[in-house]
Amino acid sequence: MRKLFFVVSILLVAVGIAWAQGGLKKKKPLPYEFGSVTINNYSQQAGMPPVMFDHWVHRQNYTCRLCHVDIGFAMTAGATKIRSADNMKGYFCGTCHNGKMVHNNKRIFESCAKEYSREEYKTCAKCHTLERSAAKEDEFYRFSERMPGERFGNKINWELAEEKGLIKPIDFLEKVSSKKASLKVNPDFAIKTKVEGMPDIIFSHKKHTVWNGCELCHPDIFIGVKKGTSKYSMTEIFDSKYCGVCHEKVAFPQTDCQRCHTKPPQG
Amino acid sequence: MAGCISLFISLQAAYGEEVWRTDFDASCAQSNDAMSLSMPELKKLIERCDGLQRIIEKEEETVRKVFLKRLQMCKNFYVFVLETKMQEQKLK
Repeated sequence: MRKLFFVVSILLVAVGIAWAQGGLKKKKPLPYEFGSVTINNYSQQAGMPPVMFDHWVHRQNYTCRLCHVDIGFAMTAGATKIRSADNMKGYFCGTCHNGKMVHNNKRIFESCAKEYSREEYKTCAKCHTLERSAAKEDEFYRFSERMPGERFGNKINWELAEEKGLIKPIDFLEKVSSKKASLKVNPDFAIKTKVEGMPDIIFSHKKHTVWNGCELCHPDIFIGVKKGTSKYSMTEIFDSKYCGVCHEKVAFPQTDCQRCHTKPPQG
Repeated sequence: MAGCISLFISLQAAYGEEVWRTDFDASCAQSNDAMSLSMPELKKLIERCDGLQRIIEKEEETVRKVFLKRLQMCKNFYVFVLETKMQEQKLK
């Protein structure tokens, strides 16, 4: 009896320590949940459920740069502090979700309204929702079936999808984007790893600048342009810094080591 | 008469926005070739951004929120490129 009491006490202490250190293992998001962001700055105050934003729906049509630079969405969930009034004036979500813009022969639904009928609330519920709908999940699987596969994240190789012409993300919106000269792409470079036997990273400027431009990463995420200026470790990346700003939440996760560590060790 | 005045005010506001918006687009459009700009050119762009900031700060809340964020991003990038170029020059 005393032995049983001792074992139970030890177990309780161990569970307590695990809980205090940040709880149990984080739940890995399912492919259709990967890149999902909940925005709840003002929704619940206004009596609406929070907004559940799915990156996969948007990134098939638009580049990251278009939304995070030209439209002005912050890179951290909730940091933009979007109000329905902003959307109704034609900014943020309302830039496209204005009931007028047409994409792929489909009119993009209007994002917010001051007054709405019971019928019109169905449109509100497309974004303001507490639970993911089965229809949306089904839509994801129908879409992902047509895309090249990947091991992690959304299980979609977005880069290959664009290369094959399966997706054509738009990078310019009339009256929103500033007309820019075409981007001169810097050459790829290798980043030496600290772990012996681990292949070096080949960083492709081409892959990153096409979708992100320059100002999305420099200087906010990476303070240096010269190779070696920004020094970071995998611990920091796993802590959502540097590459981890995108790679874990939206872009392929860091568990997919071989996507970055591609250069075979020399000699 | 009142109608004429309100039309004049709204036209003036629209024209004012048109002017700073054109300047905003012209200032932020050069981020793609910032690396090839000279240091005086970058300094001039940063000054233009500072001038625009003062104008945008007088706009209504949403316009301020959107365009100050956008302006900050392109200004920070120009400052960053300028500082990089200055460091490079020091090392030479």
